Amino acid sequence: MSVLDINNVTKRFSTTTAVDEFNLTVGDGELVCLLGPSGSGKSTLLRMIGGFETPTSGHVTIDGEDVTRVPPEKRPTGMVFQSHALWTHMNVFKNLAFGLKLRRLPEAEIRRKVEAVLELVGLGGFGHRATNQLSGGQQQRVALARSLVLEPKILLLDEPFASLDQHLRERLREEVRDIQQRLKITTLFVTHGQDEALSMADRIVVMRDGRMEQVAAPDVLYREPQTPFVAGFIGTMNLIEGNVSGGQFSRAGFSQPLPIADGPAVLAVRPEALSIQPSSNVDGPRIHRVTDYGAHAIIDLELPDGFRLKATVRDARAWTNVRAATLTPQAFAAYRDNAVVYRSGTSA
Amino acid sequence: MSLTPANDIVGKNNGRGLTGLLLVAIPVFLVGWMIIWPIISAIGRTIWLPNEGGGRSFSLETYGFFFTDQYSLNNLGVTLWTTGVCAVLLVLICLPIALYLRFAKGRLAAYVQGLAIFPMFVPSIILSYAIIRVLGPNGTVDLLLNAMHLPKIRSPYLTPWGPVIGLVWDNIPLTVLILLSGLGNVSNQSIEAARDVGAGRLAVLWHIILPRISNSILVAVSFTVLGIFSAFTLPYVLGPAAPEMMGPFMQRTFRDLNDPTNAITQAVIAFCFCIVFGLFYVRSVAKNRSA
Amino acid sequence: MARVLIERRIDWYGIFFAALLTLVIVFPLIVVGTWAFTNVWRFPSVIPQEFGIKYWQMTLARADVWSSITLSLSLSTVVTLLSALICLPAAYAFARLDFPGRNILFFSFLAGHAFPKFGLLVAIAGIFLQLNLIGTFWGVVLIQLVGTLLFMIWIPVAAFQAVDRRMEEAARDVGASPMRVFWSITLPQAGPTIAAAILLSFVGTFYETEGAWLIGAPQIRTLPVLMISFINNQPVIQFGAVLSVLLWVPSFIALLFARRVISSGSFARGFGA
Repeated sequence: MSVLDINNVTKRFSTTTAVDEFNLTVGDGELVCLLGPSGSGKSTLLRMIGGFETPTSGHVTIDGEDVTRVPPEKRPTGMVFQSHALWTHMNVFKNLAFGLKLRRLPEAEIRRKVEAVLELVGLGGFGHRATNQLSGGQQQRVALARSLVLEPKILLLDEPFASLDQHLRERLREEVRDIQQRLKITTLFVTHGQDEALSMADRIVVMRDGRMEQVAAPDVLYREPQTPFVAGFIGTMNLIEGNVSGGQFSRAGFSQPLPIADGPAVLAVRPEALSIQPSSNVDGPRIHRVTDYGAHAIIDLELPDGFRLKATVRDARAWTNVRAATLTPQAFAAYRDNAVVYRSGTSA
Repeated sequence: MSLTPANDIVGKNNGRGLTGLLLVAIPVFLVGWMIIWPIISAIGRTIWLPNEGGGRSFSLETYGFFFTDQYSLNNLGVTLWTTGVCAVLLVLICLPIALYLRFAKGRLAAYVQGLAIFPMFVPSIILSYAIIRVLGPNGTVDLLLNAMHLPKIRSPYLTPWGPVIGLVWDNIPLTVLILLSGLGNVSNQSIEAARDVGAGRLAVLWHIILPRISNSILVAVSFTVLGIFSAFTLPYVLGPAAPEMMGPFMQRTFRDLNDPTNAITQAVIAFCFCIVFGLFYVRSVAKNRSA
Repeated sequence: MARVLIERRIDWYGIFFAALLTLVIVFPLIVVGTWAFTNVWRFPSVIPQEFGIKYWQMTLARADVWSSITLSLSLSTVVTLLSALICLPAAYAFARLDFPGRNILFFSFLAGHAFPKFGLLVAIAGIFLQLNLIGTFWGVVLIQLVGTLLFMIWIPVAAFQAVDRRMEEAARDVGASPMRVFWSITLPQAGPTIAAAILLSFVGTFYETEGAWLIGAPQIRTLPVLMISFINNQPVIQFGAVLSVLLWVPSFIALLFARRVISSGSFARGFGA
């Protein structure tokens, strides 16, 4: 049973606030992703949990024990770094055994544990290798094993796959997810890639400017983003800024019934939820470009004021000679003052 | 490399400022006591001379003596001449080598680089000895010329050219390294782009490469000037007895004539002649380091 | 286009430079080496009349040679140890700790290189004269110690800074205390470069002539100082040659171990390139 509690944590550097009154509880065996653009404070937050930064205010507790000011070597956390940070003057075995030796475990037990964990990450028998004889993916697996071998209560991963190529990244994230579920280890994972977050996490925390923008399960986050930022950050989203007047949202050449009070609003429609029909009215939305992906096609549309939208269609060939279209959002949400004010199909 | 902001592993901690200062205290004290203080003291001691009353009073007498004494002036003259000739020769010799090393690859280039750096591992005293044996009277060169029934050379040993040859030899490695490091900043693309728009080899050298490494050339020259202006061993062993370079001159005044005040005056004069190069050198190193 | 510049079928420039440098740099040293193993070499023979090691025995039988060797070795050892003792902690502080005046103190070590060296030595000698340090072992130690400061601080600082901070953090993470991190991670990582700096400072001190001559002579006669008097006053040519070969041994060791550090850019950058 290991629960991580982040309570009102703030971190200020001399000129900036990296993390601002952050609250989160990570449940036992849960994998939570911290997702956000660079500079959103997600790495700083992770480093405060690992003990490498001290919060300006607030508390970090692990299983009810306050570790806010405990140095990293005394914390029950294990961190995997982006650059793998393997000790290049030690071989794989020694990298893994270092922490166990510090704990004064008997030689035989160290050997047994190291071999078991190497097996777990798929590197059985690699103990004698020098770290620079390994590929990038193998190095990152060793780094993971180095943390796991100490059986930490909380596993922290700081963009561990960022320096790997796309293909390897996909394979490793499946492996990490498998291992995490097998060991049922409470895990916090920092990434700026939404694919990584969506495919691995039990819950995703979207961060922006040191604050939590939304926390939710991946499917909920995709379908019900609470703010325009989240809507735009996860997947592709058309965010149309316009005006509502008399229950009608409009922007140059495009309008849509929207039963909310008059005033400015942002209408959010996913490309796959924007259905379009050919039209001869060239004063309305025009077709700018058709990009054929085979199974589907993306159509770039342009409103008369120059605003661009994307829509997904099945068959590109039906659109080759079409110059204009009418737009009908099938499912959409509306935001005002950074909050959802309307969601189609529900009574938000 | 630069002195990046030190953000300690466990973040800020008030005790650390004191720890850091304590750790650097002894070396910093040595710099203060053995470099800064002697310079200040040298200036002080040569302009506040002991007077008849037993105290000290302001006087430029020793400087006056130096600049009116023909022998001192000759020594200064030969020092300036040697420094200038060496600086020019070093740039003329080392720039082509550095250019070659920058663009060449392979075993031959590695050999040339190894040889160019090699003098760094030859102490100047061995070098002096080697030059005497090769270029001195009845040295190896004379032997070879004699075997070919040619007249002997006029040996540079104990002439002003002796120190010049030795000092150039001795300074090749660092000059090449400094120039090479500067050439490292000239990207292949910028040269290819220049050739692409039609620049020939000379035009590339003149318009692309030289402007980029002019700073490195100046650093190399400054370093050479600072090293050669008060060189001691090579001029002492290879140079003429009179006029002598500032290094041997100061040494003789200090030890043999037992006249520290005049020796220190000569040192201060050497500082003044080199101050521009010293400041430029420190500035560019500092700039480089913090970049 | 670049190929024209970089690749030529016959590397004429390379051949030219290689031949020139071989002649100018290697040839004189070969001559010295030949003299050291020569019993008789009279003008005008191009090669020695008689090779042999007669003069090695004679040189090594001289008391002044042995006392100079012992003195030079002990002097270099003391200076290098003292220098490592005071400079390495300082280098670590410059690389990793934050304290007031850090930058200006770091660059203050350049001061010794901003003045003509012998002039500075004379100024220091003026102070040593008042302290009665002239002609003493510790006077020479002090002056040579100052000569090692820049190297022994700047090169290790670069070495410490090159150690990936995350490696140290990873070690903290698995339970190592800050001291343990330093011994098990930072020092082994920075080790090779620091060892090269120590070796260079030993060799540099061993060959240091000017400070020893000005401050130490005639009481403190190091090997290079002895060599100067051999050149000036010794009619037997071979003594100097044998001493040269002996003197060059530390250099040879340095050449073997420190070459990579010297060829790397960071070394030249230390000189402001």
